[in-house]
Amino acid sequence: MSAERDIEMDEASSRIAAWIADYAPKRDAPDELLDRDGRPRAHWRQFLESLAALGDAGLEQRFAAAGRRIDDMGISYRVHGETKERSWPLGRLPLPIPESEWRDIAAGVAQRAELLDRVLHDIYGEARLIAEGALPAAAVAGSRDFIRPMCEVAPPGGRWLRFYAADLGRGPDGNWRVLADRAQAPSGAGYALENRLVLSHALPSLYRDMHVERLAPFFREFRASMSRAAERVDPRICLLTPGPWSETYSEQVHLARYLGFTLVEGEDLVASDGKLHVRTIAGLKRADAIWRRVDADWCDPLEQNASSRLGVAGMFEAIRRGAVVVANMPGAGVIESRALMSFIPELSKRVLGESLKLSNVTSWWCGREGERKQVINALSEFAIRGAFTERLPGFSERREALGHALTSEERVRVIDAINQRGVDYVAQEPINLSTTPAWTNGRLAPRPFVLRVFAAATADGWTVMPGGFCRISHRLDARAVSMDEGAQSSDVWVLTSRPIEWSTLLPSNEDPPIVRTLGNLPSRAADNLFWMGRYLERAEATLRIVRSLRTRLGELQHIDLQGRQSIERLARLLIAWGAASEELPDMNPTQIAWTAAAGADNYGSALSVVRNAKRAASIVRERLSHDVWQLIGRIETRLMRADARAITEPEALEIVERSLHTLAALSGLIDENFNRVAGWSFINLGRRIERAIGTCRFARQLAGDEATVETLDALLDLLDSQITYRSRYIAGAALAPVLDMAMLDPFNPRSVLFQTMRIDEHLAALPVLRNDGVMESPRRLSIRLRAELESADARHLDAAIILAFEQRLMTLADQIAERYFTHGADGAVYQPSRIA
Amino acid sequence: MIYDIAHRTTYKYDAPVASARCAMRLLPRNDRGQTVLSDRIELSPAPEVVSDRIDFHGNRVCGAHILKPHTKLQIALAARVEVDRAPPPAPALTPAWEIVRDAAYAANSLAASSPAHYIYVSRFAPLFDAATNYARESFSPGRPLLEGALELMMRVHADFAYDTDATHVATPVAQAFARRRGVCQDFTHIMIAALRGLGLPAAYVSGYLRTVAAPGQARLEGADSTHAWVSVWCGPEFGFFDLDPTNAMAVGNDHIAIAIGRDYADVSPIDGVILGAGGQDLDVSVDVKEAAI
Repeated sequence: MSAERDIEMDEASSRIAAWIADYAPKRDAPDELLDRDGRPRAHWRQFLESLAALGDAGLEQRFAAAGRRIDDMGISYRVHGETKERSWPLGRLPLPIPESEWRDIAAGVAQRAELLDRVLHDIYGEARLIAEGALPAAAVAGSRDFIRPMCEVAPPGGRWLRFYAADLGRGPDGNWRVLADRAQAPSGAGYALENRLVLSHALPSLYRDMHVERLAPFFREFRASMSRAAERVDPRICLLTPGPWSETYSEQVHLARYLGFTLVEGEDLVASDGKLHVRTIAGLKRADAIWRRVDADWCDPLEQNASSRLGVAGMFEAIRRGAVVVANMPGAGVIESRALMSFIPELSKRVLGESLKLSNVTSWWCGREGERKQVINALSEFAIRGAFTERLPGFSERREALGHALTSEERVRVIDAINQRGVDYVAQEPINLSTTPAWTNGRLAPRPFVLRVFAAATADGWTVMPGGFCRISHRLDARAVSMDEGAQSSDVWVLTSRPIEWSTLLPSNEDPPIVRTLGNLPSRAADNLFWMGRYLERAEATLRIVRSLRTRLGELQHIDLQGRQSIERLARLLIAWGAASEELPDMNPTQIAWTAAAGADNYGSALSVVRNAKRAASIVRERLSHDVWQLIGRIETRLMRADARAITEPEALEIVERSLHTLAALSGLIDENFNRVAGWSFINLGRRIERAIGTCRFARQLAGDEATVETLDALLDLLDSQITYRSRYIAGAALAPVLDMAMLDPFNPRSVLFQTMRIDEHLAALPVLRNDGVMESPRRLSIRLRAELESADARHLDAAIILAFEQRLMTLADQIAERYFTHGADGAVYQPSRIA
Repeated sequence: MIYDIAHRTTYKYDAPVASARCAMRLLPRNDRGQTVLSDRIELSPAPEVVSDRIDFHGNRVCGAHILKPHTKLQIALAARVEVDRAPPPAPALTPAWEIVRDAAYAANSLAASSPAHYIYVSRFAPLFDAATNYARESFSPGRPLLEGALELMMRVHADFAYDTDATHVATPVAQAFARRRGVCQDFTHIMIAALRGLGLPAAYVSGYLRTVAAPGQARLEGADSTHAWVSVWCGPEFGFFDLDPTNAMAVGNDHIAIAIGRDYADVSPIDGVILGAGGQDLDVSVDVKEAAI
């Protein structure tokens, strides 16, 4: 036993030795794993020992599990300009930071957050720092995030900054320092949470043994502080997102769900009485606080960018009146500029009376003559960068100009530019990013990284998230790391010497307090859930027709002309709702069936309809479980695959069958796993309305005036009612019994009456706007329809009567839309008038 | 000089607009040599909620919220304004342009009158080499600022053709510059971009011109619509001074200023959102005449 153990130990230490022997960091920048003398740091050694003990196979197994979990959780991001979201690139190794070192980082970040909040108070308030010459006005006015309408505004809740992030790296001396400040709408905190969920599951024993600090308390404090800042007790807090096209939408969805914030887009909000409100199915509901991910310039078309459709007209006025807490205040982004960074060390002494605990990259703003001359004289020592922009002004696509690497011609241009408009430029010491190990092909490789650390305002100061969002470049010579350039991210482990208390290990501690509903359902969410329900039902109906058509085609040689009639009717149904095109040269039912299922060009094909369902679902993703989202995607890929290659008849039928099974699974999932709150009602309303209308159409086509035994049989097929019918009626399909089953049978879950009863029940349970006790119009109609269907006699039904029901169901859908969904979707801005 | 101004803006919509919310910068400024004797904005349909505020640049902004469905919105301004501007400083007495630039860079105020706001790129006034180089020809080392600015104004007037069909409200300024044609909005943005390229503070002024020419003078361009011109900062001693590149003239008592900002975006007469689908048609009429008193 002990010999075996020794062998294992030997293997582990030789594994570590091999990792380290292979590992060659840059000579001129600090590294996380190896200290200056090339020895592994103690906490990394401890980590590598635990890692090596897992064995090669064990390691790969765990890393693979992490990869699967990322896909299962649907963590993704979007590269600007791309339509598809990418799967989240999580590095397999965490960035561990010992407690002693972390204490300094946290203190430095908290100090900086406090300083920047006070500087913002001054810039937008008295501007004494500017009058006294500590901060030139031009170093502020050049920022696009100096939001002038916010001047002289007192921030509701008392803070300009509530959620701050600092990008850190190690300087040449090995000390941590600030590379950049983030105050506009810092991203990454949600990804940090997700990284933690994935890695702590993949490496549970390491995670436990290394005593890693939890992230949850930080988020709890942030939430509590937002809540305290609002005017009302128990406030409604919204996360304002730019929408599904945003690069970090997936993170925003996760954060909203995790924190229990209502995820809203600009169109969900409306200003009235100088306050902000969310449009919900129960009318306007006050929005007390907003965590914004929309840049300030886009927040209010009345006062900033007039063409913006991402914000809400009147937000700034609501802020001015103190009616809404916004984190961060529009205009907080002004402190992100490099121009400002060069003044921060002095401002710290002046404003806080203390030196910076965490220095920042040394910067010189070239707007002042003294600095300008100094920079030009020693140009080769500096990197010249934009004072207010990511790109270097006047040098099109460049991010920076490295003094020592300039040709003499470029040098003249740079000096000229600085002499002319020094205000636009900042000289910084060239940044040589420090490195940390990344796991690549079974080995450790040093990679440059940037660590983002988050701080949230509390009642009496700042709390710093013990952990962070670490981006790692794939190139050793990278000078900046952004997620769209093949970078990875890493979980950040703050290691404590004491075991983490057991109580904090309980999963409930990673969750916010108990909430049972997401509050009143925003109208736009209701709209999209309703349409998701309708589209899913429409996809199912389309696939059912396709299946029925194909089965019948397979039997064609055995049936007579009447069989052909049902085929023609089914094909006609598909053409009628755009699943197949009428312009097919000869009406070949096989072709029709196939394009109706998988044709990408027909707006009504099952594939197109599923895509619409997916689009609607993407807008309400925070309300859907990941399984629902995944299943919708699965149907889409299955049908897409089908379209791509030549497939045999049985294969095609199988794809249709399987898609139907997935749709059934989806219905089950929605029914079994969805809370019975308004959101579920709207998915269901959509499904029921669509099914009722569809069934009316089927009945008109297949059980109309020219019905035959074959067409009635096809109708029973579409309604999945063959078995029930046969158990009730010994004889073959006859008109009145089939019609009764399709239209009036209250026990058949596919009949029109069944749908109408459910619709009526849902409408009865939804909130009412009127307070005079008078019934709202959708409910009036549903009650009437239900009563008429309940009292109808199948023997008197004909195509015209069925059509009348169908039309009234469509009216009902319109009335539901008008009552619950009316929102700003059709809004526009005033056409600007030209000044001639 | 006292003027009566009537400025009417009409939006017609293809489909009914359910509600509308707008911010209007139409009331003339009550400073810089102007005294507003009376003014009034009338909207039809009448808004349910109205508000007034002064924006960062000191412009007067009226807010209106219309909750009734409408297919036409009419905004009518009537104002009586007295204009009595100080004559311009002697150009040769203004400081060298480099001194003005450095003073702007070193400004120690963030108030609206601070030159620091007017030296940077803004939404409608990007900086581009062609404009900067164009400006440089008028600013030889040490030249007094106003001399250079006046020459630049004359050159814009001479080199650019007034052409209402060449550009529209959203034409990028670099494009108007390259084509050497446009209207007052373009000329103003071009001159602003050119001055700022050298680090010189330049602001955008919207306003009116007297419609009927003074006896013995030609009728001015831009007289029957809203007009725009440039305000140049001439150093802390002289402050801002206005130049009209469209008509190649220093702004005196023929001009009535409505609003000041970094560019058109800051002074846009009507901004807002409407709840409705379908197209819209815009019509503007302006009448400015000497008051019969």
